[in-house]
Amino acid sequence: MADIMLQLLVTGVMVGSIYALIALGWVLIYKCSGVLNLAMGELTMIGGYVCLAAYGGFCVMQACFPGFATVVPMAAAFMISLACSLVVGLGLGFVTERVFLRKMIGEPILAVIMVTVGLSFFFKGMIFIVWDPDTQVFQPPVFSIEPIEFLGTAIGEVYLWSFVASIILMVVFISFFKYTRWGLAMQACADDEMAALSLGVSAKFVYAMAWAIAFMAAGVGGTLLGNINGLNYSVGLLGLLVLPVVVFGGLNSVPGAIVGGITIGLLENLSDGGLTYLKIVFPSEWWPVTIKSVAPFVFMVIFLLFKPFGLWGWERIERV
Amino acid sequence: MSYLPCGTYFETYEDDQKWWRTGFIKGKMILMLLLLLIFPFVVTGEWLSVAHNINYYIIAALGVQLLIGYCGQITLGHAAFVAVGAYCSALMILMIPWPQFMVDAGLAYPVSMVCSGFAAAFWSVLFGLPSARVKGFYLIMTTMAAQWITVPLVITQYVSRIGGRGHAFSLPPGTFKFGPWVIDNDIKIYYLSLFLVVLCLVAMGNIVRSKLGRAWVAIRDNDIAAETMGVNIVWYKLLAFFVAGFFAGIAGSFYVSTLAAVSPEHYEWFYSLFWVGIILIGGVGSIQGLVFGSAFVVLVFKLLELGVIKLNAVLIDSYPHLAWMTVKILYFKEAAFGLAIILFLIYEPNGLSYRYWQLKNYFNLWPFSYTGKGA
Repeated sequence: MADIMLQLLVTGVMVGSIYALIALGWVLIYKCSGVLNLAMGELTMIGGYVCLAAYGGFCVMQACFPGFATVVPMAAAFMISLACSLVVGLGLGFVTERVFLRKMIGEPILAVIMVTVGLSFFFKGMIFIVWDPDTQVFQPPVFSIEPIEFLGTAIGEVYLWSFVASIILMVVFISFFKYTRWGLAMQACADDEMAALSLGVSAKFVYAMAWAIAFMAAGVGGTLLGNINGLNYSVGLLGLLVLPVVVFGGLNSVPGAIVGGITIGLLENLSDGGLTYLKIVFPSEWWPVTIKSVAPFVFMVIFLLFKPFGLWGWERIERV
Repeated sequence: MSYLPCGTYFETYEDDQKWWRTGFIKGKMILMLLLLLIFPFVVTGEWLSVAHNINYYIIAALGVQLLIGYCGQITLGHAAFVAVGAYCSALMILMIPWPQFMVDAGLAYPVSMVCSGFAAAFWSVLFGLPSARVKGFYLIMTTMAAQWITVPLVITQYVSRIGGRGHAFSLPPGTFKFGPWVIDNDIKIYYLSLFLVVLCLVAMGNIVRSKLGRAWVAIRDNDIAAETMGVNIVWYKLLAFFVAGFFAGIAGSFYVSTLAAVSPEHYEWFYSLFWVGIILIGGVGSIQGLVFGSAFVVLVFKLLELGVIKLNAVLIDSYPHLAWMTVKILYFKEAAFGLAIILFLIYEPNGLSYRYWQLKNYFNLWPFSYTGKGA
């Protein structure tokens, strides 16, 4: 029992770190430009599919030119594919912001939210026009399927690497905000837009940058999720879990996003494990088959009733 | 309200507030009803199914229009309430041992329709309860959760078990008996849908003009100000959820008759977003907009489908590798719908109903179209 518990905990933390990474991008957009983005699931899918396509391209090259593997080994191929997905995400982020979101500055909040809903339809349609809607996996597998002994439990290599990659990227993003000029500009804009503008920070650039970073973070998240279960429609639904994450952590809190991500990852795994346990202890046909996808949303509603602004979100005081 | 033609004045408030204010409007509306009534004899079955799809979307999106357009409570989980209505109606028809005289009189389906309206309404109020405490984005989250809790959990995993029929319930032919009419072909479905649409739209139009509607609009425009004016916002918000859920239940119950089956895949999150998209395209806060929006979206989808199939038929000989286009028609529709939402929000935020309003005024004021406001 205890080892299963530990297993669930470790897996939960590791999947949660991917959610945290995606949530970081979401929080960033919200902090900088006030846009509540419902297209995060599709952003996640785009990154995953671009990386898959690049990786597939490498495999084809390798099959066609026997010497290719010596120039670009398969391990490097995945890294390059990931870099491709980052670059495409950067470009798409700038384009999306420029074409669709910039026109919505100053519009009512429902309009902006619905633009992101429109974006999610548009992206999903485009993804499945370009790529096959059936489940696709990284072939040959990037991470070996042999489990690794970790903290006394067996854990898939892909989970471990996902965890490491998410942590590295989070550190990179956070140091980007703290120490670079652009990052400081973004922080300034998030804190007080008017003051930042009067000091010469370009709000347009900050918004574009926020979207680009969100695309990149979601892309990495999508690639990792795609490595775990294969890429299909459901990766978009996993990307949507970012909403309970940010509600839990507070909409405009970066630490909240990280804590929330890991919490939701844990919750997902523990609720499912707990359910399995209950099914064994109290056998009844009335237990639901699975509550993995529902648990975060149920948790979110209950949490909202008690703490509507999340753990570290700013409480908004309204005046007439 | 549009401008009146020159020379038309009203002397009493009642005259001014009438549904059909001038003889021209009366004639126009009667003509429209007549056209709608003879419609099934003019077109073929394919377009009839388009028509009752439009009607289904009108009733289903009516609740969304009420919540978003009139009460300002953004909902992204309306498909859940439609699903509750559909399942309630289907289960009532299947499971309740209806007495023979009710079956003969064709009351089972109408009674189940009303009951499913109430069931969906109470379910909707249950998920509207958080609106007492949260609003804006957080309310969106709770309504989304309604979708996730209702459709994949409660309906797929529990309600579907009832009767041991598996996920999809199918209803035997002849069970949909609305009064003396057995709803068994496209024309009858069309008339049923037309009847329900007219009923729901008239009801909605009258609710919106009443005290209730004014309270909702006050809450939408500024809830704190509304509260200081003495509007009990919790009560009115919950009423909004109740009425919206009732319409959703009617819509769900109607849709069962078109499919003669229910299954959870017709009530996915996609549809919740879809109905919000319809009212955005048609115009938020306008009942006409709802009709225009559903007609526009369904017709665009239909034309896209026809276009792709025709194009493919022409091109298939010379470019056989383009056959994937028909396979992916669903995704073309989805992308086009998304793009339509975005473009409408950017370039025509008031939706199609605003265009219609402008058109009407142009003719009402012609040839002296200057109103002093540049409208």
